[in-house]
Amino acid sequence: MGPLAADVRSVFDLPGPSNANAGAAPPTQNPARKTQPKKPEGMKRELYSLIGPNANPTLPVQLTKPRLKQKPNLGSGRRVKWEWRPFKNAGRTDGLQLSHWVKAGGDPNAEYLYAKYNIQNTVQQYSQDEYTRLLDVDKNWTKEETDYLFQIVQEYDGRFYVIADRYEYPDGPGRSLEEIKDRYFSICRKLVRNRPWAGDEASKASLISSLSYDKERDIARKKYLASLETRTPEQIAEEEALYIELKRLEQNERRFKKDRDDLLRTLLGIESGLPDIPTEDELPGQTPTSTSSLFIDTKKTKKRGGIGAGDLETPVLASALSSHVAALSQAVPKKAQSAKSAAYDAHHFITRSDPPPTNKNTHVPTYVRSYKLPAAKSASAAKIAQIMGELGISHTRLVMPTKENTAHLEGLLEAANSLIEMKKAVDKVEADIRTAQARLNMRASEAEGGGAEGGEGVMELDEEADGAEEAGEDGRAQSVASVRSARSVGARQRKNRRSMSISSVDTSATGVGSHKKKKRRAD
Amino acid sequence: MVTYGGDEVSALVLDIGTSTTRAGYAGDDTPKAIIPTCYGYKSATPSDGDVQMEDTPATEGESATEKSKPKVSMYIGNNGPSIWREDMEIAEPVSGSIIEDFAPIPSIISHAFRDIMRCDITEHPVLVTEAAWNTPANRERMAEIMFEEFQVPAFYIANTGVLNAFAAGKGSALVIDIGASTASVTPVVDGFVLRKGLAHSALPKLVHAHAQHLLTTQTATRPGIQLLPHQLIANKQAVDPGTPPRFTLREERVAGTTESYRKYYEAKEVDEWIQSVAGVLEQGWNDQLANQRGARHYEFPTGYNYYFGSERYSVGELFYTHSPSLVNSNPNLPKSIPTLISTSLAACDPDLRQVLMGNVVLTGGGSLFPGFLERLSTELSRHFTHVKIHAPGNPTERRYGGWLGGSILASLGTFHQLWISREEWLEHGKAIVGQRCK
Repeated sequence: MGPLAADVRSVFDLPGPSNANAGAAPPTQNPARKTQPKKPEGMKRELYSLIGPNANPTLPVQLTKPRLKQKPNLGSGRRVKWEWRPFKNAGRTDGLQLSHWVKAGGDPNAEYLYAKYNIQNTVQQYSQDEYTRLLDVDKNWTKEETDYLFQIVQEYDGRFYVIADRYEYPDGPGRSLEEIKDRYFSICRKLVRNRPWAGDEASKASLISSLSYDKERDIARKKYLASLETRTPEQIAEEEALYIELKRLEQNERRFKKDRDDLLRTLLGIESGLPDIPTEDELPGQTPTSTSSLFIDTKKTKKRGGIGAGDLETPVLASALSSHVAALSQAVPKKAQSAKSAAYDAHHFITRSDPPPTNKNTHVPTYVRSYKLPAAKSASAAKIAQIMGELGISHTRLVMPTKENTAHLEGLLEAANSLIEMKKAVDKVEADIRTAQARLNMRASEAEGGGAEGGEGVMELDEEADGAEEAGEDGRAQSVASVRSARSVGARQRKNRRSMSISSVDTSATGVGSHKKKKRRAD
Repeated sequence: MVTYGGDEVSALVLDIGTSTTRAGYAGDDTPKAIIPTCYGYKSATPSDGDVQMEDTPATEGESATEKSKPKVSMYIGNNGPSIWREDMEIAEPVSGSIIEDFAPIPSIISHAFRDIMRCDITEHPVLVTEAAWNTPANRERMAEIMFEEFQVPAFYIANTGVLNAFAAGKGSALVIDIGASTASVTPVVDGFVLRKGLAHSALPKLVHAHAQHLLTTQTATRPGIQLLPHQLIANKQAVDPGTPPRFTLREERVAGTTESYRKYYEAKEVDEWIQSVAGVLEQGWNDQLANQRGARHYEFPTGYNYYFGSERYSVGELFYTHSPSLVNSNPNLPKSIPTLISTSLAACDPDLRQVLMGNVVLTGGGSLFPGFLERLSTELSRHFTHVKIHAPGNPTERRYGGWLGGSILASLGTFHQLWISREEWLEHGKAIVGQRCK
């Protein structure tokens, strides 16, 4: 670490190199320099003066001594002494001394930690007197075997599956799990019932019910369970097939019913007594009767109106009421709002607009105004676009779709529309005038030549009217199946059809032709 | 630590199986000593005076017991039967998971605990395992050995079925244990074996015999294979697959090889072949599928090597199905696994069947056949709707499940009241074993 130039300069009180070169540097620069960022910790002074404060910001971090991860604080830091100590288990009846590692300093006579888990089940006991008085009813069981049963139940802590497995009473008949359970629980029930009970009746009843066991039912249940398991694959397949068949039949039934109703409705109309609208969304189990559909009606209106329970109202009343309520419910919050926050809105330039009226009570999500610009009617869209083009306005896009601007645009479109309408009317009138003029001229000329052509024109007109009338009657005939003889109608229809078919052929031909043309062009 | 209910009293756990004996400390996850249960012995002729000479190598790692049978030197442990010795016979004290010959058992126990683990048995309580079909006389004999010969402070004998369920963390389970000699299905409910539902058969022996028959008989593509151990081969040359092996025998050893040693090593060669090549088809037997699987290469100690095709699957298939011809030729064929399971379940209460099928535990080294687990699950799901099989993926846990369960049980704080203490043994005698170890 030799002395640096700066050190030497400071010792001899010389000005710095930059100062010396610049010469005219103001002396105020020195204190400013002193306030420069401090040297980061851990960096050598010489290095810092070499690389300066503009060095890579990660460098100081790299140069500092790495700080080791803090050591975990294990307790107080002093050593814990363990010792190999013999212990006695209170769960044992003998004096077996095993040894284990424990923390030194604990109570050497403390009870063994795991002795508390040694819990003995309490098993009912009975005396000889009790047995002869109460329990000696089943000729199938002897006192000795019952004693053995109670002993084995205690030995295996009432695990009946194990007990039934290990049950081996010498010279006794083999006992099934159900027999063992039945005997044991029936004895326990009798003992509880006939002994003086210290607690209240409810606890006694609950104890008895916890000891209840229905042998026959259990056997039947297990038989079912076993039969369920022993099904052959064919049986399982058959069962599944049957289930599917059942579902299919149900579905068919429903469809037949629907078809029949539809037929009735078309044939008899209102006289069929069926509701007008086929209710498709009904539950499969319900029959589409008029009452049920009415009920659904009321339900729907209720939901819309938000009224509470009122099942007995007629649908008309309900809907009337609901509309009234709906109106109210709409009006009330608006008023409250305007009273409360008008000032607030004005201050914050908030303008509130009513949601666009919708026929359903569907939720209208928030939208950007520019998305809902008024669109021109399709019939006159081209002409309106032309007008707009003449005016130099793009009506599909507004640069500033403020409320006023959209309103202006809407007005403009409306004006343009009415202009077009007006123009159409004018054109028509003008054309009428022209034809009238022409006719007049013709009349004037005919009056000179005389003519029967006028009568022909009238006849044509008549025919047209007749055809229109007949078409109307056709429609009615379809719906009502009128008794009227339809010979003439049929003849006329046939004629119509023929003309239709001709026209369709025509169009198709042209269509095909154009298609071909296109194809050729593509080729 | 109290969090898992454990309280170590440095108990020892001993699991004597047909092929290996496992011993270790309770609370460990693997046994410390794994030695073959088989042992070698030489019956020294009376004229043969150099008993002392036999003793000298015994101190190195093999234990020679002269107390019980003075004329016999025994070779126990990993350096016992696996090393060739002149005129050495091999004996199996355990057959069908039950100890048939108790004479060498103390030596085996002593070798495991004293020679390998280097611990003083008199200081540690010992938990021993037994098969579910073990006889009361056998377990009492075991207790007698422990208390009288080894002077243990406390003893307990637990069922391998229950211990396997415990190793899987279950109190109730259907334990399917495929051992070296026996396949068993044990229903366990609340830590108790349902003895009526117990089903076991010598299925692995059948599989083994089939494999041996397969290897030694000549087929259209290869000759019968000579099963010779590397101990009897002086040198060999590399040959192409399928071509006759070129090797020279150690002629000087052949004469001194006993019949039981020959059987032992033949079985060992077959076992090695099974372990490296055999498998089970996951979806049931299908000739086409078995051929598609591709052959696997295996080389025998003689240098003979071959690509084994579908035959390696026919070996594993015997666990599940027996061909009609085999059934006809052998009326007491060991029951296959599906039959074992169905007989076991039929003996259980209908209510229990669902519980058991939801807790199937697959264990035992025999279940390590590739595809065994998948096949079991397809077989079971064909008959039962909700089957859940628990099979440890770790081969050590699968092979030593019984020992592991014992290790868990013997390190539980609540278990320590169940030990049969020396005091109780002296007071009640043999009866206490049946009373305590239910």
